[in-house]
Amino acid sequence: MGVENPAEVAKFIIRSRIADPLFVYSYFSQLPDSNYSKLKYIISSSVTEACNNSVLLLGPRGCGKTAVLELVLEDLLKEHPDMISVVKLNGLLHSDNNCALKEIARQVCMEHQLQFSKMASFDENSKFLLSILRECGLAHKTIVFVLEEFDLFTEGKQRLLYSLLDAMQSVSSQAVVVGVSCRLDADQLLEKRVRSRFSHRKLLFLSSPGEDFQRLAEHILLLPMDSRLPNDFRASFNEKLLNILAGEEFKGVVDQLCYSDSTVSHLLRFLFCAVCHMDLSSGSLSIQNFKSALPSIQRQPKQEALKDCSVLQLYLLVCMKRLEVKEVELCNFNSIMKEYKSIPDSFQTCDNFARNVCLRAFEHLLQRGLVSFQDNRGQGQSTEFRPVKLLISWHELQQGLQSFPSCPVLLHKLMAREG
Amino acid sequence: MPAFAALRQFPSSDPTSEAIVAVTPRKTRLISDSDAAIGSPLRKSPRFCKEGTPHSSPTANIRKCLKTSLNLSGSPQKKQLSEDFVERQNWNPRDETQRRAVNEALHVSTAQTNVVCRENEQNRILDFCKKCIKEEKAGSLYVCGCPGTGKTLSMEKVKAMLADWANEECIQYPDVLPINCTSLANMNDIFSKILEQNHSGKRRSHSTSSLQQLQNLYSQQTPGMKMILVIADELDYLITRDRAVLHDLFMLTTLPFSKCILLGVANAIDLADRFIPKLRSLNGKHMVITFCAYSKDQIINILQERLRALPYTVFQPQALELCARKVAAASGDMRKALAVCRNAIEILIGDSMLSSLDGTEDQQKSAENVSMSNQVRIDHVAAALSKVYKSPVVDTIISLPQHQQIILCSVVKLFRGGKKKDTTLGELNKYYVDVCKSTSIPPVGILELSSMCRVLDDQGILKLGQSRDDKLRRVTLKVDGADIVFALQGVRFFRNCLQ
Repeated sequence: MGVENPAEVAKFIIRSRIADPLFVYSYFSQLPDSNYSKLKYIISSSVTEACNNSVLLLGPRGCGKTAVLELVLEDLLKEHPDMISVVKLNGLLHSDNNCALKEIARQVCMEHQLQFSKMASFDENSKFLLSILRECGLAHKTIVFVLEEFDLFTEGKQRLLYSLLDAMQSVSSQAVVVGVSCRLDADQLLEKRVRSRFSHRKLLFLSSPGEDFQRLAEHILLLPMDSRLPNDFRASFNEKLLNILAGEEFKGVVDQLCYSDSTVSHLLRFLFCAVCHMDLSSGSLSIQNFKSALPSIQRQPKQEALKDCSVLQLYLLVCMKRLEVKEVELCNFNSIMKEYKSIPDSFQTCDNFARNVCLRAFEHLLQRGLVSFQDNRGQGQSTEFRPVKLLISWHELQQGLQSFPSCPVLLHKLMAREG
Repeated sequence: MPAFAALRQFPSSDPTSEAIVAVTPRKTRLISDSDAAIGSPLRKSPRFCKEGTPHSSPTANIRKCLKTSLNLSGSPQKKQLSEDFVERQNWNPRDETQRRAVNEALHVSTAQTNVVCRENEQNRILDFCKKCIKEEKAGSLYVCGCPGTGKTLSMEKVKAMLADWANEECIQYPDVLPINCTSLANMNDIFSKILEQNHSGKRRSHSTSSLQQLQNLYSQQTPGMKMILVIADELDYLITRDRAVLHDLFMLTTLPFSKCILLGVANAIDLADRFIPKLRSLNGKHMVITFCAYSKDQIINILQERLRALPYTVFQPQALELCARKVAAASGDMRKALAVCRNAIEILIGDSMLSSLDGTEDQQKSAENVSMSNQVRIDHVAAALSKVYKSPVVDTIISLPQHQQIILCSVVKLFRGGKKKDTTLGELNKYYVDVCKSTSIPPVGILELSSMCRVLDDQGILKLGQSRDDKLRRVTLKVDGADIVFALQGVRFFRNCLQ
C-alpha cells in the first residue's frame, strides 16, 4: 500500500471530530464561566457535600444542552467513580407516572444488577424508589435523574415530578434532578407545590455566534499531532486555515449563515459540508469551500425548481402572478391562457405556443409543485377547469427569473409592470 | 425577641470583650455582625441593659450602646482584642468544611430542632390532639397554607411533642399513619391503609371494601381499640368529581365509635367547606388552621436561627433583610428564601475564586479585602434574587438569530393597537416581507418562515396552531409585547421599526 494522501487523512480526522459531539462541546468546557462549569459545580457539590439539588437547562433545540450534560456526567464519573449513578427519562416516552416509575426501577436494577420484575405494581415501584434513595443516601452515592423534554412531564397531575422533588427535601436521600427543556417557561408550567420544591436554578444556553464561532471552528478544524500526518503538511494546513478564519469573507459567510439559525448544530452541519467540499489535490481548505457549502445548507427548493423550468413555463407563472395581482376571482388554466394570449397583443413578440403545448407545460408545473390545485374537490373535472394557486411568492419568482440563464427581457418587464 | 434570646444563651464571656466596639475601622462590620456575637458583650454591662428597651430594634440598641461606649474608649489594647474577636467571626469561603457547614445549615432538608415562628399553630394542633386522645374521641382537623409555609415540618414536630407528652402522662400513644396522597395509585387505597394499620393481625374479608369494613368497625363498640392518628398530606389529590373519597374519609371521624383522628394538609383554604358541605351541618364548624405565608420578620428570624449555630457570620444583615423582603413580598415561601441564600453564597464563592485567579494584590490590601469581602453582601443577594425571579425571555430574544427577531418584530407590529390577538401565517408573512424590504435584508420564503415559527413555538415565545394549509395556521404571541420591545431596543433598526 502506498502512502496515504495526507489530505485524505486530514479530511477523515476532521469529519470524525465534527461527528463526535463530546469533542465539539469539550471546547465549551475550557471556558471559565460557561454553563459547563456551572453545571459541573452544581452536580459535584451535591456529590461531595451530600446535599440535594435541582437544575433546569433551557435553550433552543440544537444548542448543546444534552451534549454539555453528557460531558459533565462523563467527567464526573471519571473523577468520582462509583459515587454517581444516572437515571435517564424522556418526556416523550415516560410522561405517564406508572411508565416513568417502571423505567426508573428498570434502570436502577440494571445498574445494580438486581432482579427486575415487569409485573411489579405502581405501589411496589414507588416503595422501591424510596428505599433505593434511602440506601444510596446512606452509602453516599448520588443518583442523578435526567429528565429530557421536561415540559412534557408537566402535563397532567405532575405526580412523578412531585415525588422526585419531594424526595429531595428529605435528609436521607442524595440526588440531583436535572431537567432539560427547550421551553423558556418550563418552570411556570409546574404546579405551585412542585415549583416551591424546585430550587429555581436555571442555566440558559444562549448561542452567540461571531468570535465565538471562529474559536469553535479553530478548535475543530486545526489538525492535531497525529502520526499519520507529516509535520510540514500539518503546519501549512493550519496556517492557511487560520488566515481564512480570521478574514473578512469568512465573517460574511458566517453572518449569512446565522441569519436564520445560530445554534451549534446548524454550524456543525455547515462545517461538515465545507470539509466535504475540500479539494484533495490542493491539500487544504480554502474560502471557496466555505462559500460553496453555504447554498447547500441554505437550500431553496423552489429556486431549484424554477431553474429547471422552460421559458414557456416561466411565462405561465408570470401570467398567474399577474392574475393574482389583478385579483381575478377564478384562476384556472383557461384564464391563464386568456392572459397569455393577451401578451402578444400588448407587446410585440412571436412567442406564441398552441394550447395543447401550454397544457402540457402546465401539467409539468403541477407535478413539479410550483402550482397546485386549490382544493381536492372536482376530481372528475379536467385539468383545464379546476382552480389553481401559486405556491411560490412574488419575491421568489423574481429571484428565479433573475438567476435564469436565458430569461427574455419581456418577462422582466411583465413582472415589473404589475409587481 | 431574638436579642434577649441571645442573652440567655451566652451567659458568660470575657469581660474585656465589651470594649471591642470602640474601634472605628471595624465599626461597620461589628454593627452588622449577627446578634449572637454582639449581643453578649454589650449586655454584660448593666448600664447598657437599662438603655435597651424591649420595643426598640436590636440594631438601634447596638448603635446606642456603641455611642455610649465610644465615650469611654481609650485603651490601646482594644485593637488587638478586636482582631481576635474578628478572627473568630471571619468565615473563609474557600474553606471546604466551613462551606459545607453553611450549605448544610441553609439546606431545605436539614431538620431543625426548634421550629420558630410556628409555635402558635403547633400548640393549637397539639391541644386538639391531646383533647381527642384524652377523651378517646375521634375528630378531624384541616391544615391549609401556601407551599413552603412549614406545614409538614410542624406536623413532624407535633408528632414528636405528642410522643413526649404521652410518655409523661403515661397515656397510650396512638398509632400514627402518615400518608402522602400523591403516592396512592388508587384513591380508595387510603382506606385499606388505615385498615391495615388498625388491624394488622386480622384477616381482611374480600367481599366488602375496606371503606365498608372501616365503617362497620367504627359503628360498633370495640373495647381496647387503639386510637389512630392519620396525617394525610396533599389532600387535594383525593378530590374526584363526585368528591366521594374525601367525604367518606372525613365522615369516618363522625361515626359514633370511631377512633380515628384525622389531620388533613392541603393548599386550598376552603377545601373542607367546598367539598364537604354535609360535614358542616353534622359537626358544627370543624377546626381549620391556616398557616399564613411568612412575613419579612419571620423569614429573617428563621434564617438567623439556622445560622445561629455557626460560629462565624456569613451574611450582612442588610443582605438578609433584602432577601426576606423580596421573598415575603412575592410569596412568603421559605424554600425560596433558602434557595436565594444558597445562590448568593455560590455567587460569593464564584467571585472570590475569580479574584484569587487574578490575585495580584499586595499583602495588606489582600488581608483587608478578604475580611471585608467574605460576607455575603447586598449585591450578591440582589444577583441571586434576579436569577430566581427573572424570566429568561429577554435574554433569549436578544440572542435570537436575526430573522427570528424580525419575525417577532412583525408580530408585535401586527398586534399593536390591541384589537387583534392572533393572526395567520400568511398575514405574518406579508408583514415580515414588508419589514425585510424596509431594510435591504432579503426575506426568506414561506417554508423557512414556517419552520422558524415552529422553532419559536418550541421555545414558548409564539404559539402555532394546526391547520391543513400551512398559510392558515394561527399564530399568537405568548410573551408580553413589551418584553420584546424592551429586548430589541438595543438595535437601532428595530427601535425605529417598532416606534
